[in-house]
Amino acid sequence: MEEKKNRKKTAITLAIIIILMGIAASKVGSYLPTIGDINTPANANVSSYYIEHAIEDTHSYNLVTAVLADYRGFDTLFETCVLFLSGIAALSILSTKKKVPQVSEDEIILHHKKSLFGSAITDVAFRVVVPIVLIYGVYVLFHGEVSLGGGFQAGALLACSYLLDRIILTFDRRVRKGKEELAILIAAIGTLFYLITGLLPMFNGGNFLEFSKSPLGASSAESLAELHATGITMVEIGVTVCVMGVIITILEVVLERTNFNE
Amino acid sequence: MSELIENLEFFLADRGIYMLTLILSAIGIYGMITCSNYMKKLMCMNIMQVSIIFFFLTFGQKEDGTLPIALEGLTSVDAYINPLPHALMLTAIVVSLGTTGVGLALLMKIKDIYGTIEEEKITGKGGRRK
Repeated sequence: MEEKKNRKKTAITLAIIIILMGIAASKVGSYLPTIGDINTPANANVSSYYIEHAIEDTHSYNLVTAVLADYRGFDTLFETCVLFLSGIAALSILSTKKKVPQVSEDEIILHHKKSLFGSAITDVAFRVVVPIVLIYGVYVLFHGEVSLGGGFQAGALLACSYLLDRIILTFDRRVRKGKEELAILIAAIGTLFYLITGLLPMFNGGNFLEFSKSPLGASSAESLAELHATGITMVEIGVTVCVMGVIITILEVVLERTNFNE
Repeated sequence: MSELIENLEFFLADRGIYMLTLILSAIGIYGMITCSNYMKKLMCMNIMQVSIIFFFLTFGQKEDGTLPIALEGLTSVDAYINPLPHALMLTAIVVSLGTTGVGLALLMKIKDIYGTIEEEKITGKGGRRK
């Protein structure tokens, strides 16, 4: 009982400390910039350079992609590597023997006879929703350079369409996939693709990730925009494949052990 | 009194969103320290990450600014909102996905070995009646 009382005391003390912190922050808050102010330091120095010069430097109309894939391409490369490493970590933590009961092949076949994909919800989902989500994912991927879109979002969409039945159905009705080793291989290929995209300009005398010296086309003034567009799209494809592989790996590995019957 | 309310309205319009992000991060920190269930701790960590992402995104806002996608004939810097926080927070979201994934995997392992994810039962301290 005493321990419980102590715990309550700690909680109340913590609450008071956090409220006091809030009051102190409201005093400091008057030094923070007002919302929507044009002349704040955050909006003044480097971001105005990005907005003014992004089109002539990178030929990308989406300024976020220009910053992400071209100006800060080196940063994004290691961001992708961090994500890939987290996928490897999740896979290796849970790579030991599973304790949950395995579904026999007969039961899976039994469920297949009732409906094609496990239940009425997944039947509709796989026939109607998944094709649209897949098309939308590819659309988002290839629009990352010219309008709204990008590699990370496209990867999440593609992975979700693959994992829909795993999220919807309970364990005993799922079709066993167990493709996490293949998924992490796909993620590795995506990261490697990004790296190779960065290395390609070096064969033509350029720097790492300098798309204007890529050997994929003649580096005349007219084809400069095309070279940049190709480079940014290749980067986006690499990011998409990596994100897709890692999300599939993590969810496959974690959902394989979930057991809602407990 | 009406002057006070007017002042408060100005304060909320100018800096009210900072208070909201602060409340959100306070909820996250409070939960991470007091909750004894590891799953709840992980959820509170996610709430805290979201509050920090919101805090950074507020800096990118500009009055009368449009999406950071270049339009023909619109070259002024003030016409577009700041693309830099958006690009940085996009990567932060992806890193939070990675940390959540590894955290979930660790929780699964803890459940396998100890049979529970309650901190009190694992460490044998607190909450137990003697």
